[in-house]
Amino acid sequence: MKLVEREAGGADYNDAVLKNGGSANKRSRDTLWLARVRHGWVALWVVGLLATGAGAAESAAQRVRLLDLKGREVEPLTGTDARATVFVFTRTDCPISNRYAPEVQRIYYEFASVDVAFWLVYVDPEESVAVIRRHLNDYAYPFGALFDPQHQLVRLTGVRVTPEVAVFVSGGAQARMVYRGRIDDKYVELDKERPQPTTHDLENVLRLIVEGKPVKSETTRAVGCFISDLEAR
Amino acid sequence: MRGSLGFAIAALGRLVAPAALALGLALTGLSGLGDQSGRSGPGGIIGAAPSGQLAPAASDLHRTKASVTFNKDVAPIIFKNCASCHHPGESGPFSLLTYQDARKHAAQIAAVTRIRFMPPWLPEPGYGDFVGQRRLTEAEIKLIQQWVDEGAVEGDPGELPPVPKFVEGWQLGKPDLVVATSRDYVLPAEGDHGRDVFRNLIIPGPVPGTRYVKAIEFRPGNLRIFHHANILTDPTESSRRLDGQDGQPGFSGMDLEIESDRFDPDSNFLFWKPGTPPAAESDGIPWRLDRGADLILNLHMRPDGKPEVVRPEVGLYFTDQPPTKFPMLLQLENDGALKIPPGDNHFVVTDDFKLPLDVEVLAIYPHAHYLGKDIQGFATLPAGEKKWLIWIKEWNFDWQGVFRYQQPVFLPKGATLHMRWTYDNSAGNVRNPNHPPRLVVGGNLATDEMSHLWVQVLPVNSADLGVDPRLVLQAAISQHKLEKDPGDWTAHFNLGAALETMGKPQKAIDEYRRVLELRPGDAIARNSLGAALQSLGRTDEAIHEYRQALNARPGDLDAEYNLGSALLSQGKGEQAAGQFQQVLKARPDDPDALANLGRAFAVENRMAEAAAEFESALRIDPQNADAHYDLGRVLAAQGDLPQAAAEFESALRINPDHASAHSDLGTVLAMQGKLAQAVAEYEAALRIDPQLATARDNLERARAQLAKSK
Repeated sequence: MKLVEREAGGADYNDAVLKNGGSANKRSRDTLWLARVRHGWVALWVVGLLATGAGAAESAAQRVRLLDLKGREVEPLTGTDARATVFVFTRTDCPISNRYAPEVQRIYYEFASVDVAFWLVYVDPEESVAVIRRHLNDYAYPFGALFDPQHQLVRLTGVRVTPEVAVFVSGGAQARMVYRGRIDDKYVELDKERPQPTTHDLENVLRLIVEGKPVKSETTRAVGCFISDLEAR
Repeated sequence: MRGSLGFAIAALGRLVAPAALALGLALTGLSGLGDQSGRSGPGGIIGAAPSGQLAPAASDLHRTKASVTFNKDVAPIIFKNCASCHHPGESGPFSLLTYQDARKHAAQIAAVTRIRFMPPWLPEPGYGDFVGQRRLTEAEIKLIQQWVDEGAVEGDPGELPPVPKFVEGWQLGKPDLVVATSRDYVLPAEGDHGRDVFRNLIIPGPVPGTRYVKAIEFRPGNLRIFHHANILTDPTESSRRLDGQDGQPGFSGMDLEIESDRFDPDSNFLFWKPGTPPAAESDGIPWRLDRGADLILNLHMRPDGKPEVVRPEVGLYFTDQPPTKFPMLLQLENDGALKIPPGDNHFVVTDDFKLPLDVEVLAIYPHAHYLGKDIQGFATLPAGEKKWLIWIKEWNFDWQGVFRYQQPVFLPKGATLHMRWTYDNSAGNVRNPNHPPRLVVGGNLATDEMSHLWVQVLPVNSADLGVDPRLVLQAAISQHKLEKDPGDWTAHFNLGAALETMGKPQKAIDEYRRVLELRPGDAIARNSLGAALQSLGRTDEAIHEYRQALNARPGDLDAEYNLGSALLSQGKGEQAAGQFQQVLKARPDDPDALANLGRAFAVENRMAEAAAEFESALRIDPQNADAHYDLGRVLAAQGDLPQAAAEFESALRINPDHASAHSDLGTVLAMQGKLAQAVAEYEAALRIDPQLATARDNLERARAQLAKSK
């Protein structure tokens, strides 16, 4: 376990990932960082130095730990019995993300009662707790938020823009991402938008899950604000 | 510090690919992620901006060698083209005044400028030179792409141009009058079926007397939810009648029609869109805002995910100078031809209008809804030459606007204005509001279409026409509309109004009757028909029409008022007074109704009451010469000759050509023994109106008395 400042942390992180990718059939102790970011955020997380390859018992996905708005450590995948977990990646200054708030909430109310967990994931490291709290309140989000300033979950899921969603089924050792991409197809390009979506991708995948039907893993292209712009330069 | 961070991140960038691969394997059973999940590929990046990669890799190692920097190259572009909206308090969703701001949106900026989504500007360059053009050059776009590709480097602080300064609050300074809607409208978190919201909010009659407006500034409150606003004036109560019928302030509708019963063509575009600073009207072209006229805010709003309180303010800047130039908004349109079959991706609608006189084109406002694709406005000169007015190669309803020419475009009499709109009603048009596509016709819903080209023209070289050139234009364009559609009742009505104003009441009556054949219950046409009949002295027929109008629309104030006037002209003071009292119940400070109530009382010989009404009228509208004159007559009848003389003199100060005031002033002077002055007044009256019999008789009498007294 080591504690590092974020400014010096990038290389260490990559070392860890590299080890992660390179090690085989051997579980080592988690590496824990305490990272400090510009606005006083303290992000604490664990990346498993885990076994990979066929038959791996645990994946990086399961070991994700992020902070919630109260600064509590959350393991959204391992610490849940939910049938499915939905991550909605967002930032406060992305108009497309914001316009989706009512639709995301509608989907939440449709599926929260049938054991689907929802998390908003704020990806801008410069957004303070106060700003995010106000944002949650303004848009009346009824579910919790996580902070992903180091883009741990962004990398894990491969999301590129906000709003984009990732859906995992099962928890713990069996957690598996079955969908990543757009909420629906309302936005075709940044400058081209359907008056109404014709395909409700997120809703469709969740329905399959709760109906116990087989889910084919799928990705779609989401349209929105580039998360890459939030990487430190 | 920055250097070491840069190095660390560069390392991160290099390692992205293997990391992703590892995680991809770890995600058991996640098929299909393969290459798509690789963050190094462009597949998932909108617009495939190379900068969409997770982190700039190799290029970042050379950031000191970056050839394009924010301070040197990108800031000038952003400050000039983006910052007017992207600064705090403005419509852009984020600010772009600093390097940090721009860096946090760098790939986004590259993507949206490359597809010309930003800055929003529809007209094609070279097909009309417009004020406030916000269009990046190809070179500027390439520079931004390169900046991002090279790692969005800040550069030398010494090369940063001055950060633009923006005026907070009212852009034109403190307005002479600030008015607002009377009740807040709450924009829902999302529109019906996710659509934008089109709402018309009413600012009730903001001015107590006629004012000339040289500039208007719209402040929407929350800028980020607005696409645009059109401000219309409604001298009738046609909009108020629609107000609040669905429980919310205002009424819905993408486009609206304002009924009017007089020839008063709109002259100025009162259009607002984010980022376009308000401008004062050109010299000599203020617009008139009459007492009682409501301002209607025709708003296109885009819900932003949370409920928003909409509380727009309008600032009015007045001038004492009445307009000396009278432009007019001409409308080319062919909504009747809009029958766009489903699946048709190239449906063309045209309209052509030959100008009856020379004009200068000042501004242009093309309008279509979501199926509009290619928008062309041009003129064919008499010699056959084509002159472009505007070309929009990819119409986007969201960014419509009024485009003002840098220099007026002269078009001679005989030139033809053309609009040529192309529509795409296929499923391939993602903006198609109908899924699956269906037959689309003209209408003011988002699911309907429109084909309008509004052109602001200033008639020139028309001094020897003898009539207001706008009437000639109005008559010509109405006749043109009737050629397209003989059943166009609006065109019949407008033609009637133009003919009536040109002094052709008989022809106007024919047009109003055509309107009533098409719309028997049209209270406004009935009322206008009544007024035209009354102007021909056919008062009984006029009264019949006014009563019909009131049957069609009980309580119609214009009909009540006109009926009162007609009854008054027949000497039926008591009935007339009842009509004006009806009007005053709804509009207690209508100076014309007050003055006419005074006249009705005077007819009934209720002089004290009459005087009180005239005085009320004059408190509201001190410049009403007729009310001064009539008050003078009432005072004279009551024996108060000096006060009567003072009122006649007031009337003459306002209107020196008021023949009756001269004549009656002469009489009051004669009654006071001031015969020489009386003679002068009678002579003045007869100079203005040689037919004024009382003045002629009294003049002779006064001269005779004057001779006798000598």
